[in-house]
Amino acid sequence: MKSRKRIIITLLVCLGLAALAYFAYMFPFYEFETNDYEASREKLFSLEYLKTLVPLFIIIGLSALGIVLIIWLRKLMLKTDKNYSRFSGRQPVRKTKAPKQKPVPFMIIRWAVMIVFAFLMIWGGLLFGLKMSSVSIPILSCPWNTEQMTESSCYYLSHLSELFELPISSILIFFGSTLAFIILLGRAVCGFLCPMGLIQDIMDKIRTKTRTEGISANEKVYNALTPIKWCMVLLFIGLCFIGGNFCNFCPAVATSPILAGMSTSLYVSGFLMIFALIGGFFKRRLFCNICPLGYIVGLFHKFSLFRIKKDCTACTECGACYEACPMGIKTIYTERGKIDVTEANCIMCGECVKCCPEDKALSLTCAGIKLYTSSRKDIMSGYAPKKK
Amino acid sequence: MITTREQERKARQDKRFVSKQTQTSAKYLRRIAELSGAPDGMEPFYRALLRIYVDMQGVNVPQGVKTIGTYCVMAPQELIYAAGAMPVKLCSGNYTAFFVGDDIAPRDACPLVKAVAGFKHTELMPVYDDCSMMIVPVTCDCKKKIAGMLEGKCDVMTMHIPATRGDDEIDSFVSQLYELAARLEDVTGNRITYDSLANAFSMVGHAQYELSEFVRLKKQHPYLIRGTHAMTMMNAAAYMSAPAWANAMHRVNVSLRRRASSGQTVTGKKLPRILLTGSPIVFPNMKIPLLIEEMGGIVAGDETCMGERGMYDPPVITDNSFDGMMRALANRSLRPCPCPTFADNSQRLFRLKQLIRDNQIQGVIYLVLRGCLVYDFEYKRIEEELGRLGIPVIRLESDYNEEDVEQLRIRIEAFIELIKLRQAPEKKPTIRRDFNEQVLHRA
Repeated sequence: MKSRKRIIITLLVCLGLAALAYFAYMFPFYEFETNDYEASREKLFSLEYLKTLVPLFIIIGLSALGIVLIIWLRKLMLKTDKNYSRFSGRQPVRKTKAPKQKPVPFMIIRWAVMIVFAFLMIWGGLLFGLKMSSVSIPILSCPWNTEQMTESSCYYLSHLSELFELPISSILIFFGSTLAFIILLGRAVCGFLCPMGLIQDIMDKIRTKTRTEGISANEKVYNALTPIKWCMVLLFIGLCFIGGNFCNFCPAVATSPILAGMSTSLYVSGFLMIFALIGGFFKRRLFCNICPLGYIVGLFHKFSLFRIKKDCTACTECGACYEACPMGIKTIYTERGKIDVTEANCIMCGECVKCCPEDKALSLTCAGIKLYTSSRKDIMSGYAPKKK
Repeated sequence: MITTREQERKARQDKRFVSKQTQTSAKYLRRIAELSGAPDGMEPFYRALLRIYVDMQGVNVPQGVKTIGTYCVMAPQELIYAAGAMPVKLCSGNYTAFFVGDDIAPRDACPLVKAVAGFKHTELMPVYDDCSMMIVPVTCDCKKKIAGMLEGKCDVMTMHIPATRGDDEIDSFVSQLYELAARLEDVTGNRITYDSLANAFSMVGHAQYELSEFVRLKKQHPYLIRGTHAMTMMNAAAYMSAPAWANAMHRVNVSLRRRASSGQTVTGKKLPRILLTGSPIVFPNMKIPLLIEEMGGIVAGDETCMGERGMYDPPVITDNSFDGMMRALANRSLRPCPCPTFADNSQRLFRLKQLIRDNQIQGVIYLVLRGCLVYDFEYKRIEEELGRLGIPVIRLESDYNEEDVEQLRIRIEAFIELIKLRQAPEKKPTIRRDFNEQVLHRA
């Protein structure tokens, strides 16, 4: 009975999503009188730039409001709970911080790559004249930004009907470069290159800085997200064939073109961006869990060079990796036989390795070379006595 | 009405109890101290045990700090420290209390529970009587009943330990921790705030840091320290505050590091390396590790509650809010714990394999306290699995008395001899080769 109820609810949600996606052009979030896709270096430093940024400010403002509202609502809801309510307001008084391990090179590099790449992707073409537009990378960096450093595969993958009208050489380059990235990097593109991922990671950083509690890992949450993800994949691929346009629905439109100084009208994508921001605040990389492009890249996870390896004898099944995993991969701690624990959902963010307290139990490898290995010393580095 | 004669009788009994109890504890402490190869800096641990068992005093806490008794490592110490109190592990290994408890608890109850019942009955141990609250995680039937028995004198909180470790179970354990936190606040009168909890994490974390250093040293340099001494240190942790224990541990680590750099070992000989696992070994019930080491073996690792397991797993904070820290505690308490109370406990097997690999173990001694069913259940599977690895295992069943010492001694001695034989002394293969050559020559 319960499962039937759940199926009906998810079906309704998916149907709603589909309808929303199809009629996306009817729900304007913010419309410019004319969409101006001309951008230049001068425009970036003029007042006009601020005007194009208006929808972004609205999104940020609404998301902040939403977050505050949710925190307040949660407090209200917990008031009835005898035990939780007592502790609901226990915020730090002094500057005491929860013990934290020292930053590791891998994480610093990952953040640097994400930031530099997102910056180059958005402004690289305008500021430095970096353009290699024929190479397509499977990330959600909006190709409406025509000055982008390089092409993103998402446009033609969601507009397959248009793809086959292109000359054959373009099609070959498109597929060739996309497949090359999928096989070389796999979903590491999500963890290292995708600007959408960076935005969500920044939201998570804000949460940890304010020490707000998030939504903890629970299989039920991920189970509820899976059908939505499939629905998104269907929409992503199929919408162009029935006359819809996924770009009116995709949240990524709200960043790259606007930041590059192009006045872009937002439809449902604006609302979805707010959802992605609020969701990303409470649950790390929530949108990545339903990202259609990431799912397609993940299908090829068996071939990619980036792998998560596990030494099953060293594992104590403490579940820290599962708690830390933004994608909710459970097999990483339950696996007790295989060495390779790479999953279709894994975005190679390295959080599991960072949180693993056992020496050499988990490692992130690229083509057999260990990039990052777990160690107890790293975990305990926050507790080490201060040197006198 | 209590007559004067009865009172006198009770006083006599108490006196006998105290003298007997202090005698056995002092004897075991002496045996541990007399064992060769102890590292420098063991004194704080001896002193802590001496204070509790021989001097019969409460734990060393400043005035006004309340002590909270715990009966399992699954009750997180961090919360107790955060409430401004001091946790004490009350699982008992006392022979004298066991004799008293033998008449109170049913025959088939395990000696640990009988000893606890004995202490409860005599009301002579200050560690037990000073407690403002006791936390009893229900890990087996005996624990459940002892929780009911302890009720009355002080606040007792039972914690439900689920049979599996799924996501929902962790969630419900988190809410139990909140309940525990609320009750701790009521008992101690202090508030558990974000700051106090974070400080408690660093305090216990520091102790865990020293422990992980200790484990690493032991792993890298075999024969660096005797297991009995290591277990004494872990046992003393039950009655020492985390910072005091961390400091003492730091001194031991320094001396061990010095030992390692000069290439010094316990005896200079290659002793058979034995892993001790099974039911908890609580001071003063140290007869088995003592016997192993007196018979020429070395306890190279232990997988017992009162041993390294108690503090081995650090809580990993993935969400630095108040709730995130509570969740880290719940996660740490349940998931990595290889306690046989869980229905599926195959992870204990992997933990044993890990210990065997890391510490180059040659044989496993599996202790079962009489009546400890959950540990006894797991013996068969572990014997089978380790047999496949070619590691000999024996099961020792023991009680809290010294009647079976000679019998245990014979079995342990035989086991150590067996390992020595398997160790294949250097001469044997050469003789064999000569013999083969001779045979070949003749042919």
